[in-house]
Amino acid sequence: MRLRSYLVFSVLLGSFTISAQNKELLYDFYEIPQALMVNPGVKTSEKWHVGIPVISGLSFQGATSGVTVNDLFANDGIDFTTKVQERVLDVMTRKDDFSTTSQIEGFTIGFRGRNRPDDYYSFGMYGETDVIVYWPKDLAILAFEGNGGNNIGRRFDLGDLNLRGEMVNVFHFGVNRKMSNTLTVGARAKLYSSIFQFQSIKNSGTFRTTEGQDNIYVTSISADMQLQTAGVKGFYDILEEDTGTTRKDVTSLFTERVLLGGNLGLGFDAGFSYQLTPQTTITGSVLDIGFIYNNKDVWNYTFSGSTSTQGISVYLPEDIDNLDNNLWQELIDDIDEALPHGENTSSYISFRPVKAYGSIRYDFGEGGNNTFDNCGCGVNAGGGGNQDFYRNSIGGQLFMMKRPRGVQAALTGFYQKRFGRGLSLKTTYTIDKYSFTNVGLGLNLQAGPVNFYVLGDNLLSYANVADSHYAFLQFGFNIISWNDN
Amino acid sequence: MKRSFYLLLCFAVVLMLSQSCTEQQDFGQFEDLSITPTLATGLFYMESDEATINDAGTFGTFYAQTVNFDAFNEEFVADHLIEGTITYEIVNTTSKQLRITIEYLDEAGNTLDGELFNIDADPSGLMTWEVAYGPGGKSLDILANTSNLRLTATNLSDAISVSSQPEPKVKFKSAAEFLFRLK
Repeated sequence: MRLRSYLVFSVLLGSFTISAQNKELLYDFYEIPQALMVNPGVKTSEKWHVGIPVISGLSFQGATSGVTVNDLFANDGIDFTTKVQERVLDVMTRKDDFSTTSQIEGFTIGFRGRNRPDDYYSFGMYGETDVIVYWPKDLAILAFEGNGGNNIGRRFDLGDLNLRGEMVNVFHFGVNRKMSNTLTVGARAKLYSSIFQFQSIKNSGTFRTTEGQDNIYVTSISADMQLQTAGVKGFYDILEEDTGTTRKDVTSLFTERVLLGGNLGLGFDAGFSYQLTPQTTITGSVLDIGFIYNNKDVWNYTFSGSTSTQGISVYLPEDIDNLDNNLWQELIDDIDEALPHGENTSSYISFRPVKAYGSIRYDFGEGGNNTFDNCGCGVNAGGGGNQDFYRNSIGGQLFMMKRPRGVQAALTGFYQKRFGRGLSLKTTYTIDKYSFTNVGLGLNLQAGPVNFYVLGDNLLSYANVADSHYAFLQFGFNIISWNDN
Repeated sequence: MKRSFYLLLCFAVVLMLSQSCTEQQDFGQFEDLSITPTLATGLFYMESDEATINDAGTFGTFYAQTVNFDAFNEEFVADHLIEGTITYEIVNTTSKQLRITIEYLDEAGNTLDGELFNIDADPSGLMTWEVAYGPGGKSLDILANTSNLRLTATNLSDAISVSSQPEPKVKFKSAAEFLFRLK
């Protein structure tokens, strides 16, 4: 029991050390090949690139719009229950969430078409874990305070339970085409291989205890709730059996699911970059428009119905001859019957969290020489209007993401500085539901063919990471060529 | 010069990323978390019209029933109950003086505790009794060992009088409000 409590608490609170999916630093940072993953239509200048397997792209994000680790676990001498009451129960709303996203790029390769130098092809594989748990405010208050005392008459919203999570391996292939000196478009097809998925996102209902017309209290419940899982039970069963081969069995099942042995899905990304003027560019992209069809290892739990009870009731003279003394058990049976709950293995479709980016960039400060003189980048290579010529960029970005409770948005202002071919920096300021003080910094370093990049968000919080509402770190290594060497 | 500045800045940032820190956290505080909800529920409701009381005759018992009641001795309740109050409310609009008793019985049928309510004839008004269990009140063991309830309702008046109230009835209500320690 205690272990289970720790696990639940760890999932809820630990999630914000690693989370939201906005990659505002990477977006349109076209010196980094992984920028293709957030806009397939980003301007590409490479001849080819190869990500160093497993370490070409590692990203970890964690966010909480409500309480932080430090709010609860700081060694401040304040009673822990008081902190939970004042910093969680009293202030967090059903719109607050804990979320986490991590990505590990298995491999990525990009190359320019031999016969069509306008096209840049890229393919690869990456794993992604994404979990979001909305704060179940009413259920938490019900658990901490109960339905009695001041909560008589309160309507507890069962729809406050809302969570979604998945681990998926993605195989992708994308084409980036320079249509003209001003327009680049791109698209990427994705094949999703689900490792596990769970969601409980369409719950509704209420639980309420009021003063009754007959008895002192009447308790009413109306519920339509469902938890859908796919791929979870297989792992659970292995862990539950706890045989001597548990680790091997988990690894084997994980590997099978990674390599298309589990539930599969399809999706695509699309994007563009358009140069309005020689110095002004607009971009946009949509990512993960796709779904996974979950029909293997499915286990769902449902709970629905409605009833009310005021306890055991006897009405005379109607019940005068009822000598049955099992009234309590009958009451329990009646409630069970009115609130059917059960398990099923029905297939379901889960949609990927769709993301969209848009940006406008203004380039200035002529550098005197083209950063990518030797690029094999087709129709707009070497043109006088190539914005790579400019050493500075400034602009704004908009990010939107479909979440179970609606669209989550973030607005970013950025400044980018290029120091020749070898080094470029990008700094961002982002506002979203998690933070109004999110300043990020990204660095891209090119040493010969070796490319290294590191992107870090919410730097002001690094003085005390535990007090951060948002943390993001991404880094990776690539080999890039701009010519035939 | 400018280049050196930015390179320095760059290394400073990398250094900062690697040297980020956090204030000391004490995750052991979780052990101190106290979760004590108050749960409220209706328990037992009985109502009778005046004709049924008259049918029982003078000093007759018009309702006597022992019902199985395992709500309190469920393992969860027995293990987590800290204290509680059982509230009884009686409204009598009949012309009868009544006596209602409720007894808490263990599995073998032995009486663990009981309450006796003498009710005046109409107008009795709303009569309320609150019985506390736990510290300062009756023993929680009574609740934890209760397996049956016996309710007995007796007419202490004649068998012919009729109240002038429309639809005269006696209503016996009860509810529990218990404080649990979940953690």
